Amino acid sequence: MSHPLLICRDLARHYERGPQTVRALDGVSFEVEQGEFLALLGASGSGKSTLLNLLAGLDRPSAGRIELEGRDLSAFSRRELAAYRAHRVGMVFQAFNLLPQYTARENVALALVFDGSHHGERRELAAAMLERLGLGERMDHRPADLSGGEQQRVAIARALVSRPDLLFADEPTGNLDQENSARISELLAEFNREGLTVVMVTHDRSLAGNSARRILELEYGRVVDERRTRGEVSS
Amino acid sequence: MTLRDAVAIAAGNLHRMKLRATLTTAGVVIAIGAFVAMLSFGAGNRKLITDRAESLGLLNTVQVMPSLPGDSLQAPPLDEVALARMQALPAVRLAYPLESLALDVEAAGESIRVDAQALLPSALGTRLFSQFRSGARPTGDREVLVTDRFLEKLDLPYEEADSLVGDTLFVSLRVASLDSALIRSFAPGEDYLSRLMAEVRVDSIADRDYRRRIAGRELSGALRRFMDGYLNGRIERDTLVVAGVLEGRFAGRNVPVKPLILSPAAAARFQNAGRPADPMTLFAAMERGELFEPSTHAGEGFAQITLDLDPYAPFEAARDSLVAWGYRYHSFAEQFAEIRRVFFFFQLALSALGLVALATAALGIVNTMLMSISERRREIGVLKSLGAHEGQIRGLFLAESAIIGAVGSGLGILLGWTVARIASAIAKAVMAREGAPMVELFATPGWLVIGSFLFGILVSLLAGAAPAARAARVDPVEALRGE
Repeated sequence: MSHPLLICRDLARHYERGPQTVRALDGVSFEVEQGEFLALLGASGSGKSTLLNLLAGLDRPSAGRIELEGRDLSAFSRRELAAYRAHRVGMVFQAFNLLPQYTARENVALALVFDGSHHGERRELAAAMLERLGLGERMDHRPADLSGGEQQRVAIARALVSRPDLLFADEPTGNLDQENSARISELLAEFNREGLTVVMVTHDRSLAGNSARRILELEYGRVVDERRTRGEVSS
Repeated sequence: MTLRDAVAIAAGNLHRMKLRATLTTAGVVIAIGAFVAMLSFGAGNRKLITDRAESLGLLNTVQVMPSLPGDSLQAPPLDEVALARMQALPAVRLAYPLESLALDVEAAGESIRVDAQALLPSALGTRLFSQFRSGARPTGDREVLVTDRFLEKLDLPYEEADSLVGDTLFVSLRVASLDSALIRSFAPGEDYLSRLMAEVRVDSIADRDYRRRIAGRELSGALRRFMDGYLNGRIERDTLVVAGVLEGRFAGRNVPVKPLILSPAAAARFQNAGRPADPMTLFAAMERGELFEPSTHAGEGFAQITLDLDPYAPFEAARDSLVAWGYRYHSFAEQFAEIRRVFFFFQLALSALGLVALATAALGIVNTMLMSISERRREIGVLKSLGAHEGQIRGLFLAESAIIGAVGSGLGILLGWTVARIASAIAKAVMAREGAPMVELFATPGWLVIGSFLFGILVSLLAGAAPAARAARVDPVEALRGE
């Protein structure tokens, strides 16, 4: 029986834009269970990326709370949040966000710099993770020399090399063709089967339906639908 | 993140923006170069004077003088007793008197009057008398030392000091003599009586005023002849050989080294010959009421006693004793403390000029770092998403500033050293052309190298501090959204 890893209660995130208050998130409550694959589905501006940033500890809510194993994430100090991101969280972005000056291996190893690993260990772990993702031949290439699909696999390797509990993926296939999108979603599902909790933001209903076990649909900063799917993990 | 990680990441980023990093570093190189070159000049001058003082043992030399007539505490005379008391003071290695006498010397075809002093071999062994321009220490009583000031009096250039070594000096002293004065006053000349007879009007002898005028005139004449005879009584002569020429250019006028240094035996011959017939000595003797007494030179006390100190022992206790006894003293070490203070401010002024350049370079670093941060906001966002906390982001940017500072300072020190060497070579060439003695005006000591290196890094870190703090505050959500 799985138990909640993250619990969001009445989560709100407001931005002041001049005289106006933008309610990016407005009273969102849900739970993320250990080892589940959750998709946050919604159109552009629905608040799904804002929610992901809050869950990843990159941002703080205006109201409400996020509980990580019973501890309020919004009460964490900045340093504690950084440690949470370094040890517990991996992030994958639509734009890959690899650093162009580094090779694939160096990009992956960079995640371990803030994890406290030793230099030699970092290189080995990075190489092993890239091998696993089928990039053994490409690990000394810089991002500019890699295809979009390869870059996203390097980004996934970077997110997972420190063995986090949670993977937050923000439109991970948004910049990829169909074939690469399928491969990436297969990879995410594979890691999820191994016990990784995945929270994926997408506007792609079929991707969400095929990959995730559960879908939360957001509209204008509110959860408008929650449903279980017959995704790969649950099948 | 270890320091090694921070430096590796920072170096990688600087390598990525080579041109900008090179130009910024060049600013630091020029600034530190100017800083080092200027301070090298100050340090060189300070070293020149300090080395000179140390080689002459001036820092270990103290001159003790009698108290002045108006002083509240009147010290005992500077005699043999005082000498023995001073010799027994802590930190005093040797106490020796300065006995000065003015001698007429014929040398190198010139006739000059110079001040001479007698020195014991033990005093000659101190560092004050260790710097020879030519020749060596005297080995016998007939040998003397002369100094640069002796050469100056002969109008001989320092380079010709060699020519004087081995030369014979004809030394003489005019001594006052009472015998000669009496003979001269009572022997007014062969035609004296006939002239007097011719001049005196017999018919006026009965007049009292006339007699008084004649008697006064004759008495004045007798007194004049007496003084003339007294001052030109006798000439004491000796021939001495120059053993060596002491370097004393820096020693200047306030160092207790006279142009001519005799052995005590040679000096005693002149001192025992009688009272020197120079007006100052006679006036002093007259003031003491000893004009017609036999000259007892030692009894008058020494003009000065020189103390050679142990450089590793504190002088304070000895100084306090001298002051308590009422003597005046002159410590070159205390004078040098003042000189060093002056040099400190001189170097401060020079470094202020270098600091202007360094401030400009610091602005370059600020500009570079701010540009770098605005271009690398996404990278900062990524690093934060990977778990970097604000201190680590700040550390990465400070590491970049420190690398610019370290490389810039290292190359700047090389540049400054090179400029100092070139300036030194030019200065020496000018000195050689002008016939001036060649001295090293520039010095780049270890403290300057290490200090400039650390200072360059410190300034770079200070310049990078505000931009680094700004980088640390970058909102990762905004930074990642920007992409």
